[in-house]
Amino acid sequence: MRYDSARLTGFSVWDGKELRRSFDWDFFLLVLLLLVMGVVMVLSSSFPRAYYDPGKVTGGQAAYYFIRQLIFALLGLGAMLLASRLPMDFYRRCAPIFLLLTLGLLALVPFIGVRANGARRWLGVGGLTLQPSELAKLAVILSFAALICRYREKMHTLRYGILPFLGILGLIVGLLILEPHFSASIIILAIGGVMMFLGGVGVGWFLAALGGLGGGLLVLLTFFPYASSRISTWRDPFSSSSDEGYQIVQSLVSIGSGGLSGLGLGESRQKYLYLPEEHNDFIFSVACEELGFIGAALILTLFALLILRGYWIALHCSRRFDFLVVAGITTLLALQVFLNVAVVTNLLPCTGISLPFFSYGGTALLIQLGEMGIVLSASREILEA
Amino acid sequence: MTNDRGQAQVLRTEPGRQMLRRALVLAALFGVGLFALLLGRLAQLQIAEHDRFEQMALQQQLRQTPSSVSRGDIYDRNGRPLAVSASVENVYLSPAEIQANGEDPELIARGLSEILGLDYEEVLEKAGRTGSWYVTVARKLERETADQVRQFKNEYGLRGLRLETDSKRYYPNGSLACHLIGFVGLDNNGLEGIEARYDEELSGSAGKTVRATNAFGTQLLFWQYEDYYPGQDGLDLVTSIDTTIQYYVEKHLSQAVADYDIQNGAGAIAMDVNTGEILAMASLGNYDLNDFLAVDPEVLAQIEQAPEAEREGLLQEARARQWRNKALSDTYEPGSTFKIITLSMALEEGAVSLNDSFYCGGSVTVKGRTTPIRCWKTQGHGSQTLTQAVQHSCNAAFVNIGQRVGAETFYDYCEAFGFLNKTGDPDENLTATTGIDIAGESGSIWWSENTFCSPKNLSQLAAASFGQTFTITPLQLITAVSACVNGGKLMQPYVVRQLLRPDGSVAYEREPTVVRQVISAETSARVRSILEQVVGDPKDGTGRNAAVAGYRIGGKTGTSEKVSLEARTGQKQYIVSFVGFAPADAPRIAILCFLDTPSDASGVYVSGGQMAAPVVGAMMADILPYLGVEPDREKLSDVRVPDCLGLSLKEAALSLDEAGLRYRSIGDGDTVTDQLPPAGARIGAGTEIILYRGAEVSPELESMPALQNLSYEDARDLMAAYGLYLRSLSPVQPDGNQRIGSQSIPAGTLLRHGTVVTVSLLSTDQEMLGIY
Repeated sequence: MRYDSARLTGFSVWDGKELRRSFDWDFFLLVLLLLVMGVVMVLSSSFPRAYYDPGKVTGGQAAYYFIRQLIFALLGLGAMLLASRLPMDFYRRCAPIFLLLTLGLLALVPFIGVRANGARRWLGVGGLTLQPSELAKLAVILSFAALICRYREKMHTLRYGILPFLGILGLIVGLLILEPHFSASIIILAIGGVMMFLGGVGVGWFLAALGGLGGGLLVLLTFFPYASSRISTWRDPFSSSSDEGYQIVQSLVSIGSGGLSGLGLGESRQKYLYLPEEHNDFIFSVACEELGFIGAALILTLFALLILRGYWIALHCSRRFDFLVVAGITTLLALQVFLNVAVVTNLLPCTGISLPFFSYGGTALLIQLGEMGIVLSASREILEA
Repeated sequence: MTNDRGQAQVLRTEPGRQMLRRALVLAALFGVGLFALLLGRLAQLQIAEHDRFEQMALQQQLRQTPSSVSRGDIYDRNGRPLAVSASVENVYLSPAEIQANGEDPELIARGLSEILGLDYEEVLEKAGRTGSWYVTVARKLERETADQVRQFKNEYGLRGLRLETDSKRYYPNGSLACHLIGFVGLDNNGLEGIEARYDEELSGSAGKTVRATNAFGTQLLFWQYEDYYPGQDGLDLVTSIDTTIQYYVEKHLSQAVADYDIQNGAGAIAMDVNTGEILAMASLGNYDLNDFLAVDPEVLAQIEQAPEAEREGLLQEARARQWRNKALSDTYEPGSTFKIITLSMALEEGAVSLNDSFYCGGSVTVKGRTTPIRCWKTQGHGSQTLTQAVQHSCNAAFVNIGQRVGAETFYDYCEAFGFLNKTGDPDENLTATTGIDIAGESGSIWWSENTFCSPKNLSQLAAASFGQTFTITPLQLITAVSACVNGGKLMQPYVVRQLLRPDGSVAYEREPTVVRQVISAETSARVRSILEQVVGDPKDGTGRNAAVAGYRIGGKTGTSEKVSLEARTGQKQYIVSFVGFAPADAPRIAILCFLDTPSDASGVYVSGGQMAAPVVGAMMADILPYLGVEPDREKLSDVRVPDCLGLSLKEAALSLDEAGLRYRSIGDGDTVTDQLPPAGARIGAGTEIILYRGAEVSPELESMPALQNLSYEDARDLMAAYGLYLRSLSPVQPDGNQRIGSQSIPAGTLLRHGTVVTVSLLSTDQEMLGIY
């Protein structure tokens, strides 16, 4: 237990390398920077809707969304720091329970979930709402990491390397489809795949899975008109700019009209009820309009740096579990950022994926910052050269 | 042991090489590759396609509120207003704001229905269209009503009830010159006449206020952007129309419509022969420009008898009919008035001379025709000079004249006079317009060159020589006739002389446009002289009924049968017409009058000479003095009543005898204390006037007697017996072959003693009754 004692006593030496005691400041500062920018963007993008209050939510208080987001950002910071103090062993031990808990919550959603836009995706607890799918993403990362550590030598086999993982994924995705919540399903499948990939599952399986996915997509597009209309809206949103294509056209107008240097912080015009979900899934469009290509590129660069730093931490982890969790969380973050920006720029068909640290949404922010806390916790236990 | 195990465990739990390799792959993909893709996409959208999206953004974010500019006024040539614009207001609702502000739609509906007399339910329904920001409730309210609405709005602080300024067109003269002026629709866009043709100039360019709004159309919170682009008021038009002349033309034309029971409308054009300016243009029945949708009550009554389903269509038809400018839009076979054109070209070409003689045996055979062409006078005119042939309106002579000119030359002259435009295809039927600057001009229809000029068949040429087998517009005819008498220049007719900017400066000045010199000035002088004899010769002239005592008037009659109508239905219908010009030696004005389908029942012989000529004569009698043309005093058939007051009877008798008047006296005083009619009145020579010597003039009113068909002398004496007096516009001929054609005051009107009534005289020469 030299390792543990070293952590407890606060200093240690391993193979001539010293264990770090403090977390990774670069990572922490990048998160903090993005979080501040995100909260500011929530203020900027949300006040017209909060003020006009067409949905009768805010009572006309322009700062309604901002204050809530700010509170959750502060809570999230606390959660991040707390999570960074908990040892990685704790997460490993908790992984199975966490998975079971998540599955339980997911199972509840189709029955007692809060309904919005034709789907039940939220659990309401005393005025707060929680998307268990957010928890599920973390549960998959933690539990897969733990499982991979357990089956470490058998990951290339079907029985150990594939089936248990597919079982968990099938269960979660099955529950998500009941809500239904396709975008979360896709992310969870993707992050599960990434974990298995890291865990050592043969590349052939992935090729086979990709082939299967492609085939399934073709079938879906051929037989389900809803899906194919999405595709045609994606390929030419301007032909239906007043109905199906409205949202994406408004998003493109916001981004495009921002130009190189933007209209200036707070100066978006599209947020005046033209662009739907402007403080939510489409907050990045407002950022593009206000801050221009320069500002948008800066935000993306910060994200890229954060993600690269995340991989850097993963690569420096001394333990397989830490490595897998950090790489998983980092990839999850990268996936969310990419999918969100790809959707708002119409690189991918429209689907609801929020932008981490930016999009309005208290519990999601809390969980995301908690995840960052886990990365920071792992960063405390890496070996410094 | 513990340590070993722990150490072993830690060793074995280190990430494997494969894991690290794969993590590096992920880092490259997720940390670099995908971000590069996103940055590329952003660069594409924000830099490469920026302009396009900026346009889209501005298009949806900026609302343009047009600010109304004032539509230009239309004036007559003397600066009298024909069309002016006044500011009015529209009332509209913004139901979305009514809802957003929690205003009471029922209150609004109740208030508006009370103030504006609208249906409560209808307003309520409009107020309930909560998806909308603009629902019009009432348009073009006068100041007073708008103020009531404003008061109501302010009283209850209604933000969803709005007023906006608009402008409304007023036509101070009502129906006068309605077809020339035209009118505007609800959106102030010109729909007919000058209003339509000069819509762009009159409209100006609307100003606009551009402001940024949110998706609901209201002001942004912090981003206040508003920019005002001032508009340009419309230009004022100064037209060539003379309101007074227009009034005279319409007055006599409508009298003719009533007198002759015209079935299908009538029209007249008065043109400045030297410039081509339109002085007046009428097309009856008229309609009120201020209420252009309203149709004649009689027509409306007929429509209301029709089955419900057909009424709307009939109403539309009736409107289209009343809006139609017949002088410009109708085409007809001009008939004998066209002989002026044939005469002019024949004289110009030297095909005929004044010394030539033409024989008319009542009909003439034409190569290519199975039946001979008949002259209107079936027993024939016998041998005639050229002038007589024109005076007689002899068809046989004109067939001969046309043949002397030759088909090809004739056709070329028709082009030169503006009746057709050659296209290069000799087999194509041809057309032309004058290009006048009013909406609605139709084009002529002519035989193709090959048909007209076929050497085997001269029937087209023969009929065209006296104005048949082709159709033209009345405007084309008067334009060509003006060229024949103004020295030979074909002028382009026009109505608008000047465009004035709002500050009064001239933006555009129209100069008369000579299209071409068609005939020489000498030929034109000969034509004038011959045409003057058509009107001025009381023995041979078929146009004598257009004569006005003291004035030199030239002209030509026309009576054309609607051939195609007869071929279709067997009905015989005529358009009778007269084109005249004055003064005959130096013409200033030409007037064409055409009456479409007079009724046989009117008692007047249906022909241009009997019906249309007196109308033009009556117009000339009013217009020439107005234009300041001095009459030849010698030739006036009326005299000025001298002042006899205070004179002894003997002295008065002397003075009256000198003036050519008779008298009778009432009372037995020494001097004349009163006289009827008063001094200065113009009455017919030989009239018996009344001198009062101490007696009082009876204050009783006399009923105007019916004079039609009485001889001039009988009418004069009948009137004098009542103490009423007569004055003839027409020259009074000593042979007595005249009767009263029309009287200026209808029979039965109560008149003061001494009133002078104007009459026109019609020739009763049976020899001269005919379709010419």
